[in-house]
This record gives sequence, C-alpha cells and structure tokens, in this order.
Amino acid sequence: MNKAAVGGGGGGGGPTAAAAVAAAQKQKTLLQRVDADVSNLVDNFSHLVNLARVNDPPVRNSQEAFQMEIRAARMVQAAESLRNLVSELKQTAIFSGFGSLNDNVDRQVAEFNRLEEGSERLLEKVGEQAAANLKELEAHYYSSVLRSSQGDDG
Amino acid sequence: MEESSRKRVAIDLDRLPIKRLNAIDEIGNEQFPPDVSNEDKRLGMLRRIDFSSIVADSIETRRNQKRTSKEAAPGPQQTWPWQGFVENLQLAHQELSVIIDLINTVEANDAVAVAGMQRPKQLPNEILSDLAVSAATKLQRLRNLGRYFKQSSKALEQRVSREARFYGSLIRLQQHWKVKRQRVSATSPGNEGFSFDLVDNTSSNTTILSHPLPNTLVHIVRETAGLLAIQRPQKSHQCISISYSASDFNSRNKKSLKRNIYKSDEILQANRKETLTDEDVNSWVKDTHSVLHEIHQSIFLQQVFDRVKHESYSPSPGIYVTGMREDFLQLAVGQDTSIYLSLVPFKKEDEFLDSMGHSQNTTNEHPHSDSSALVVINEKDMLNENNFGVPSPAGLEIYVMHIFHKNSVVRLKEKKISASRAAVAGQAAADSCGLSHFCKTIAHRIFSNKVLAEIERLVSRIPFVQLLSHPPWHSRTSSWSLSLKFPESVFHSACLSESSNNYDAKGLIRSQLHTKIVVKDDQVTVSGEGAPSTLCSFRISPNVSSVGSYGCDLDDLPLILLQQIAGRIIQWLHDEALIVGMKVRRDFLCLYFDLDQGDMLGLVARVDPDDVNGCISWWLIMEDALQDDGKFSTSTGEYKNRRFLGHLSLEALYFMLMDLVNVSTDNGFS
Repeated sequence: MNKAAVGGGGGGGGPTAAAAVAAAQKQKTLLQRVDADVSNLVDNFSHLVNLARVNDPPVRNSQEAFQMEIRAARMVQAAESLRNLVSELKQTAIFSGFGSLNDNVDRQVAEFNRLEEGSERLLEKVGEQAAANLKELEAHYYSSVLRSSQGDDG
Repeated sequence: MEESSRKRVAIDLDRLPIKRLNAIDEIGNEQFPPDVSNEDKRLGMLRRIDFSSIVADSIETRRNQKRTSKEAAPGPQQTWPWQGFVENLQLAHQELSVIIDLINTVEANDAVAVAGMQRPKQLPNEILSDLAVSAATKLQRLRNLGRYFKQSSKALEQRVSREARFYGSLIRLQQHWKVKRQRVSATSPGNEGFSFDLVDNTSSNTTILSHPLPNTLVHIVRETAGLLAIQRPQKSHQCISISYSASDFNSRNKKSLKRNIYKSDEILQANRKETLTDEDVNSWVKDTHSVLHEIHQSIFLQQVFDRVKHESYSPSPGIYVTGMREDFLQLAVGQDTSIYLSLVPFKKEDEFLDSMGHSQNTTNEHPHSDSSALVVINEKDMLNENNFGVPSPAGLEIYVMHIFHKNSVVRLKEKKISASRAAVAGQAAADSCGLSHFCKTIAHRIFSNKVLAEIERLVSRIPFVQLLSHPPWHSRTSSWSLSLKFPESVFHSACLSESSNNYDAKGLIRSQLHTKIVVKDDQVTVSGEGAPSTLCSFRISPNVSSVGSYGCDLDDLPLILLQQIAGRIIQWLHDEALIVGMKVRRDFLCLYFDLDQGDMLGLVARVDPDDVNGCISWWLIMEDALQDDGKFSTSTGEYKNRRFLGHLSLEALYFMLMDLVNVSTDNGFS
C-alpha cells in the first residue's frame, strides 16, 4: 500500500504538493476500505457464530436462519470487495509505477544500445573477415594451378 | 323441553347505574355501597350465570332418550359396544357448545371478559422433541451455509488465480510494451479497456506521414482462464516483399499463433482448461510477446512504405516514379530496370489470411493492390543472362528498412540536440539516407556488377593480371584494382645496389602495376600509371611516371585498362632494356630498339578487348616498316617485315628481350 502510494506520489519525477496530498488521500481511502471490509468480515462472522445457538421457539430459529444467510452473503460481499481492491491496487501499480517503469525503460534502452553496438561490431567483424577471406581466395586463385595452366596455355 | 326452559328463564334486571343510599345515620351521614370495580362486576355477573338448570335439563333429556330407546327396541337385549362412547361424545359436544357460546359472549364483550390465560405446561418429552427439531433445522441451515461458503471460496480462488495470471502477464509484458487503459463502460466480456500502444514515437512524424496509422492499438482480451490474449487489428501482418518475378510473390512465412490472437469480432473461447501450470502461462506470455513484436514490425514496415511514398512525391535526383497505387509503387532504376514496392501480408504456414481473417489462395499470379510484392523487373531480361545483374531482393528489403530506420534515428537525435536545427540537419540526413539514396544504391549495384563483369572478362583472358577487390563499405562505391607483378630480372638486384634509395623505391614500385578502378554511383574512375593520352606517349625519360585519374564510360573501360596494362609492360621492358644497356625508345605501346648501323627493331603491343585468346598480342617490326610510314599499316592486311609474336607471357617477353640483347651484342652493340 505504501509502495502504491509512493509510486503514485512519485509520478512525474518530483511530486508536487497537490499530487502528494492526493496520493495521501488515496492511501487513506484505500486503508479505510480495507478496514471496513475486514471489520465487515469479522462482524458478520461473529454474528453468524452467535446465531448458531439453538433457540426454543421455531419461529425464532427461522428468523435466525434468514439472518445467517444475510450475514454469509455480507461476508462474501466483503471478500469480493477486498478482491476488487486488490485488482485496483494492481492496476495502480501497473499504470502509476513510473519509477519502476522509467528504470525498466532505461535498462531496456541500455540493453538495446549494447545489442546495437554488439551488432555493429559483429557486422564490422563480418565485413573485415569477408574482405580478408576474399583477398585470400583471390590470392589462392591467382596462384593456383588452374590459373597457372591457363597462363601457360595463353 | 323448550317450554320448560322458557318457563325457567328468569329475568334479572341489573341495577341502575346510580348510587343507592344504603343508610343514613343519626348524624346525617349517608352510607353508600362501596364502589365495585369493573372486574368485580364481571365476576359477579359470571357467578350469576347459573348453568345448573341447563345441566339438569340435559341429564333429564338423556334419561328420557334412554327410556324411549329401550321401549322402541324391545328386540335383542345386546347393546352396541360403542354406545357409551357415542353418549360421552355427545355430552362433550354439548359441553363444548356451551363453552363456545360463552366464548362468543366473551368475544362480544357483552357480559363477561377474559381475565387471563396461561399456556399449558409442556411435558419434558415434548420439550426435548421440539429442541431436537430446532437443532436439526439449525444444523441443516448451517450445512447449507457451509456449502455456500465453499462455493464462494472456490469461486473467489478461481477469480484470484485468474487475476493473478492476467495481471502477472500484463506486468511482464509492460516491461517491453506500453500499456494503455481506456475507461469503457459497456465492453464485451473479457475486454477491460487495456491495450498495447505500439506506435513508435521515434520514427513517426505526423508531418511526414500522409495518414495516421490506425492499427497501433492492440486491445487486450482476458480469457476465461485468466490468460492474456490480444485482438489483432486490421492490416497488422504486412511486410515489404521483394521478388525478381512479377508472378512470384515472396510473402514471408510466419508461424501462426492463433491461440494468442483474436479477431476483432471473435468471441472469447470459453473452453480453456482451468488447470494451467506456470510453464503454460510462461509460454503464453512469450507467444504474446512474439505476436506483439510481429505487429510492431508490421507497423514499422507500413511506416517505411508510407515514408517511401511520401518521399516519392517530391522530385529528387535518382527517384523516377513510373506507377503508383494505394499499396503499390513503381520506380525506374537505371535505364532498363524497374522496381515494384508493395505491402504484402504475411503468409501463414497453414493458411493465408488477409486483414479480415478470411482464407485466400496462396498463389497469386497477378499483382493487385492488396497482395502485390516488391519485385525487381528488368525489361531486357538480364536476370536470365546474368544472375549477378540485380541485387538480392532480400538484401534490398533489409537495406530499405535500415535506411529509413537510420533516418528516423538521425532525426530523433537532431531533435534532441537542437529543435531549431532539426529541420536543416534532418533534411541533410534525409538526402543521404532516403529513397533517393536507395534508388541510387540499386542503380549503382547494377552498374557496378556490369563493370565487374567487364573487368573479370578482361582478367580471365590475361593470365598475368590479377583482379583484387577492395570493398569500400559504402553502398554506392565499388573499387577494384589490377595488379601485375613482373618477374625479377638477373640485373635487378645489381641495379638496386648501385642506384640511390629513391630509385630503389621507385624501382620497387615500378615492378608492379597498380591500376585502380573506382565506381561511384554510375561514374567510373580509373587511376593508375600512364595516362592513355598521346602526351604521355612521347615522354622519353624513364624516370618520369605519371599517376593519373580520369573517368570513362563502361564501353571504353576495357580498352583503357588494356592500354594501361600494355603501357606498363612496355615501360617495364624499357626499364629492363636500359638496365642491360640497350638503346631503347618508348612510344605509347611501342618499344624501339636501336640496333647497329641505324637499324631499329620495334616491339608493338596490340590491345583488343574482344580477343578471346588474350587481349594483348605482340608484334615485332623491323626497320623497313618503320621507315615506310612510321606506323602500323593494317589497311592492306599484309605486313612487311612484321612478325606476329602472339599472346606472350611476361617471362617470354623478358626472354625475348634478353635474346634481343644477345642479338645486339653479336652485332657489336655495346
């Protein structure tokens, strides 16, 4: 959560005061949502446990059954809300993690530059080797028996 | 019965609701009856109801009925076994009817009201049974809740794992590609507004491109298993293809990765297996990355083609547009060669898909705007004659991409350095690496191949000449050199020891021929010793050597080279003759030996590029012929005092020179 806030707050390279305030507010909101969801889970579960007692009047038992269903649904809803919160955090990390993105871009650029230089050197090496091989082949050809016999015939 | 009941009904009137004075004492105090509460009143009224008469009447009625039944049925003395039960039920019915009347009266709140009511106390077994039922019901409810929680947890786990796969893949791909998010409200299932932006800001320039590229956004689709797939945009698999023949379109074969790609209107596949391993996800991500790379490459190629077309609009040297369509451009290169540029979709291994995803025939015999190829057509069909006449299409394809990529990088760097100088420097860069440069390169390659063919033809016919290649590593420059190594003479080392150091260097240099042929674009430049001009032919001094550079045409190149070679041989023979002390005189391709008594012997080189046996032939001319006209006379076809020596090697020429030395020595020549 702090990383998300820092990432969100660090966007743009040098956060302004408004951005920092917004990031803090967002962090606070997220924490509140988390707390609400977790407390919702705990409360509903505790109520659910309390409703597990068997009472005498069957009418009361039916009433408690409906309450238990409601508590269970609320628990699932709270869990779903937490999952959505996690998804939002992941999306925030993807789209607001400028620091890590910039670092990654720089790393990629350096890597590609290195590859480019390596390719250039390789090409030069290939060219030089090709030229050397060509020269050697020419020397071999002109000193070969085939060329010599051709000269004798000529 | 009813008459007796009516007679017995007494009328009882309630007291008037006024306070009656009970007594008055002597003092005068009035004594009223005490106030009776409402409940007391009711109770009093209840007590006043006398049911005894009614009960007695009922008993009397039963007795009478018994008597009548006995008198009416004097037959069998056996009684019905259920008679008593029926009588008891009838009595209970009567009692119940009385009670019901009472209850109705109470409900009407007419005479009496209910004071209180208590639930009858339950028995222990009843309590336990109720408790058991309640416990069982609650247990059932709890089990249902348990099943509900299990289903929910399973669904949540699946969703969490799906999201983990999706976002994990997205984060991994984000390291290589730019991810965008669009806030869309109503989307198709699996489309959450994420997309990859494949536009290349370094090479794109809206002022240069004739139209923006619409297929740079690749929408991301989340499959049911949580895997990340992409929607392939239209015309996202195209390439620039080059072919030598108009009917042979060399579309690139690409391995189809269908499982990662969806068409724009395709529905998500819901039959993906849920049990995916990490290896499956890794391979999926890699495949997606490969597909994105292909699409990015296709976009780059479209940009290249677009820039090629844009540059063809403006007149530039070397660019001759002879045809143009939407995805088709025809350029004339050189005098008799044409190039066709076009965008060709990738051809899959198993099927050929166009931009709409429909299968098409893989063989296209006639070019059209959608699937034409970049072809190099030589109108004189020189391809059939000489396979080296036209550069390799694959090489040209790579080169055109390299040119425009380099151009875009240069522009980007110029922009970074100075915004004000970007236009000037960029323009300069465009001149050196653009469509003009590309066309000139092709023209140069074709022309240089022709030059090389001519030189090789010459060298193949002259055994003692060697052709050396000097790659300049410039796309529009080619360079060769002809070398000729003369055999060492017996007197050469002695001369080296007697002469100065400067002459040593010159002598060493002169022992070889260095003629360099440089082709820049379509200009041929020959540089070497001995200019083929008449001025140099009259130079007498052997110490003067001229190294000149001059241009020539392709048709004149063989003759010029042969003249240089022959001239250099003559020069060598001249130097050797001087070393041995002979009086010699050089005249262009002739070497005259001064013999005794004024006689002169001439050794003449004849060059003929079309001579199959050898391009340089030698003639020996006696003094008579020289005295006649001083020139060769070939008009009559008969040569007097001339002898054809044939195509001699350098060793043979040297030996002949030595023989001439001996001849001159015998003649008393010193």
